[in-house]
Order: sequence, then structure tokens, then C-alpha cells
Amino acid sequence: MTPAEPSPTLTTESLALSYGPRRVIDSLGVSLPSGQVTAIVGPNGCGKSTLLSGLARLHKPESGAVLLNGADIQNLPARTLATQLALLPQEAVAPEGLTVSELIRFGRQPHQGWLRQWSAEDQRVVEHALAAAGLEALAERPLEALSGGQRQRAWIAMTIAQQTPLLLLDEPTSALDLGHQIEVFELVRHLACHGRTVVMVLHDLASACRYADHLIALCDGQIVAQGAPAEVVTPELVRTLYQVDCTLMIDPDTGSPLLANVRRASP
Amino acid sequence: MKSSASDLPTSAFVPERRSQSIAAPPGYWRIAWISPRGNACSLLIERRGVAVSAGLGVALVCACVLYLSLGSMALAPSAVLPALFGRGEMISVFTVQELRLPRLVAACLTGAAFALAGVLMQTLARNRLATPGIIGIDNGATAFAVASVVGMGVSLAPPAMALAGAATAAALTFGLVAGGGTQGYRFIVAGIGVGAVFGAVTQLMLARVAIDTANAAYPWTVGSLNARPGDAVGLLAVGLGVGVIAAFIVARPLSLMRFKDATAYGLGVNVKARRFQVLMLSVVLTALAVAVAGPVGMVGLIGPEIARSLSSSRQVPLVASLLAGALVMVLADLAGRTLLAPIEIPVGIVTAVIGGPWLLWILMRPQRSHA
Repeated sequence: MTPAEPSPTLTTESLALSYGPRRVIDSLGVSLPSGQVTAIVGPNGCGKSTLLSGLARLHKPESGAVLLNGADIQNLPARTLATQLALLPQEAVAPEGLTVSELIRFGRQPHQGWLRQWSAEDQRVVEHALAAAGLEALAERPLEALSGGQRQRAWIAMTIAQQTPLLLLDEPTSALDLGHQIEVFELVRHLACHGRTVVMVLHDLASACRYADHLIALCDGQIVAQGAPAEVVTPELVRTLYQVDCTLMIDPDTGSPLLANVRRASP
Repeated sequence: MKSSASDLPTSAFVPERRSQSIAAPPGYWRIAWISPRGNACSLLIERRGVAVSAGLGVALVCACVLYLSLGSMALAPSAVLPALFGRGEMISVFTVQELRLPRLVAACLTGAAFALAGVLMQTLARNRLATPGIIGIDNGATAFAVASVVGMGVSLAPPAMALAGAATAAALTFGLVAGGGTQGYRFIVAGIGVGAVFGAVTQLMLARVAIDTANAAYPWTVGSLNARPGDAVGLLAVGLGVGVIAAFIVARPLSLMRFKDATAYGLGVNVKARRFQVLMLSVVLTALAVAVAGPVGMVGLIGPEIARSLSSSRQVPLVASLLAGALVMVLADLAGRTLLAPIEIPVGIVTAVIGGPWLLWILMRPQRSHA
């Protein structure tokens, strides 16, 4: 189900984020293209997860701002923000014993209230989220009984049920094997096809090239490149980010960049 | 900035169509009606929660009847109800109405308050060990209350002193882990440390006063329903009433606070504000209960534990915890009054002796309960 509203825009304006005295992100200005999948990549500790939590208002900016349709998200009520922007944190954990459909129903929370606990809309959206994530058959299973990929899909289904035009995912595939990673990435593509704007932090540049429309490469809290993967990924960029050399090829099936013969950079 | 925020598109209100059948989610009853203003209203009632609460409620009523009938003068359970309403022999009426009933009321109220405070704090800290009794709030309340009883130059009533003590202990614990949040063992360890200091302060005060004064303060230190200040019981009743309403108001965000902060925040919960509210609620309930019965912190651990082992993980078992706490307190005090009669064992000791091993069994048996 496509969010009914026109896609909102999420941008940052000279954003600075710090942990105590350490400035992790410095005067960063990004604009996240609507209806596309954006991947934030970069070496460990470059500030990509920090940037994502800044975008989700989990991290208060030291200066600058994150703007949703031009309005500073710091001024939005938590609930309003939760109807615009959904976040899946890294390694999310649920109370023991919760089933898939129970988890997904929690995604309806921002749309519900004390006297509006379960509407036809809620029911329709939860059923849709189960179907979109391919979890209908597992709806009443406890989360613990699922495979890693299924569980991650259940979490994404919860954010689908939140019906937000914007979806932020922090390393959604970090603990998954290849098959399960593909399950998750294909779901993400499916969501973007239906009009959602997805932003995900990835540590794997190869998956970012394959599944993202837009790439933001961070190094030491600064943007070193942004744009379509086919345009911005170069051996030089890979070297800057990860201190490795590689041979760059074009995937004959998808046209996206492929990294081959990756090796430690020669001095 | 504020005005531009309201320009954001909010999700379109979709009116419920009569023709469309709405099924309640599995395990729930759904009650729907149209408000006078024409809004579609709906409530979900969790069936398991209702069954568990009803079961615990029946058990509590049975325990109360037993409590009123047993003692140095045993009454037949069938004689309890008439005596409660002033019928029957004078001596039975006196025993039930004047001797046992006030104490029973105090047991129910303190047990419920300790357990509700316990389940709130556990949820807040996402840790089953983080009850007010363990993180030193009981001890803080006790130390201050004892200070007023032994007359350390302060003349406030015990409830006010207990409240001040609980607030001080909570402030210290949270101050010590400033920035570290309420999660993880740092918080618990800090709380245990604060509790130990207040425990020592209490002992020190008792050691320095005359033996009679120390005896007067003794019930406060072990937890007993024998010397309950009347005004403190009244205050607890009011506080518990308000606390239960407040707990219901925060119940929905509370069920989301069992997730990581980031998840709760992402779902629209104002985590910081809610956490402060829940903490305050837990501290006040603990203090009011300590002012009546002293530190019977074990109930704050056992009550929620029973409730959780019976309930589903769909929500935080607030009502079940409250009822289980009252039940434990009533049974423990009944045991304390009758087991070694005419010697009375303070309820705090009974809950520790019976509750400790039982709790270990709960924690160590094969996992089925929901953290």
C-alpha cells in the first residue's frame, strides 16, 4: 500500500552530531531522494549509524538541523514524527514470546489511541504488512522460532505497518547469511517500488551497489561521495573508504558496479 | 517552526465502514462503539489477561476469607462474612472487624503497591532484578522513616519521611549512573550500593538510641504489618488508587518500553518523559507502602514474577502483578501470624524465607516465562 501523502523530503542542514566532546558528524548536508533506496556506506566508525540516529531524532544535533519537509524534526511531537518516519535499529530485540503478528501490530501504535485500539484500517494494514513481508504463514509463530531472515522481515513488517513514507534501517542484514540477506534486500526494493523512501546503513559496499539507487559514502563524518552507485563508485573511492584496492567491473545483468580482486592497498 | 510542523500531512482518517467485519486480533476481545461526536471507538481486551486477573482475584478473595477466619481465635469461614457485617457473636465481630480487617486491608494495599511498583521498575529498567527493593529505594525510605521514629531531630510523619527517603535513594542511584541510563547492570549495582548504605545508616541509628526507642522502630527494619500507622494506611489507599489510574494511562507506552529505546522512540513514545513518570510512580508507591509495612521488597519481585509466569507477553501485566502482590502479602502475613503462634513472625521475614527459595526455583526452572 502506497502511503497516501506526497513523499516528504528529509534533508540535513550543516548537521553536527557529537558523542560527548567527540564530533562524529560535522557540518553535513544531505538530501535523501524520495521514493528511492539510499545506502549510507563507509568504514567502521565513520559515523554512519550516528547519522541515521540523527535523522531519526535519536541523537540531538549539536548544531544544524534535520528537516522533514523543511520543518526541524526537533520541534515535532514524537507521535507525529512516528507517522512520518519509521526506524529499525540495529539488532532490535522484542519481549520474549511475542508472535510475528503481535510484533507487527505494535507498528500501528502511532495511529492508535486509548479509545482507538483496533480499527478496520489497523486490520487491513497489518494484513498487508504480513503479506508484503511474505509472513502470512508464520503470523502466529513466536519470533524466537523464526530464522534470522524471517525475524528481520518481521521487524521490517512492523515498520511497514507504521505506514510511514520514510523508512530508516540500521544495518538490516548485518547478522544474516547470504540467502537471508537477499530476502531482506528484495523486500526493501519492493517497498521502494511502492513509493517508500528507504535509507539504510550498510557496511557491505557490494550490497549497497546492488540494491541502492543512491549512495552516500562517509569517511570521518564527512561525505566523500554521493550519487548513483554506477556513477560514484570508483577504485579511488573504494581505496579512500576502506584502504583496499580492487578491480571494478559492471554486472552484466544489472549494470551495477561489482568489486573484484579486492586486496590490501599497495602503499 | 511550530506552525510548519502542523503543515505536515497526517494520515488520513479512514472512517470505519459498518459493512466491513473487523476481527479482533487472536487472543483479544474487541469492543467497538460510535462516540456521541461520531468517532469510531474501539477497545481491545486481552482474554488471557482477564482470565489471569479473574483467577488471581478469586484466589485473593479466598485468601482474605482464610485470613479473617484463622488466628488465635479460629472462626469458621462461614461465620466470617456475617461477622464482617456486624452479625453473629460479639467476640467474632470484634475479632474480624477490629483486629483482623484493618490488618488485612493494610496487607492487600501494601502487597499491591509493592508489586505494582516492582513491575513498573522492572519494565523501566528492562531487567527482572530491578525492583525498588533491590535497587535500594525500600532501604532509603526505611532509613528516613526510622530517623523520624527514633527522633533524630526531625518530626515529620513517617509517610512523608519515607517519601523523602525513597526519592533520595532513587536520585542517588540515578545520579550515580548519570548518562548510563536505566539499563544494564551498572544501574543495579549502583542501586545495591545505595541500598547497603541506607541499610547501614538505619542500623547505626538503632544502635545509638535507647533500647525502647529501637524496639519501637524495629518493625520498620524487617517489614511488619503489626505496627501500622493509621494515617499511613489511608494515604497508601489514596496513593494506590491514583497510582493504578496513572499506571493504566502509561500502560500502552509501557508495553513499548520493553523494546529498545530506539524502537520505542521510533514508534512515537516520548521515552525520556515516560521513563521519568514511571520512575516517579514506582518511587511514590514504594514509599507509601514502606510507610505502612516497612521494607517488604521481596513482594515487589515475587508479585510481578507470578503475574508474568501466568500472563502472555502481549502487554505488561499490571493488574495481575497488583493482585499477585496482594495475594502474596496476605498469605505471607497469615503464615507469619499463625505458623508459630503465639509468636508472630514479621511478614518481611516470611516473604524472605518462603519467597527467596521459591524465586530461585522460578528463575532456574526451564524457561517459559517472559522477561
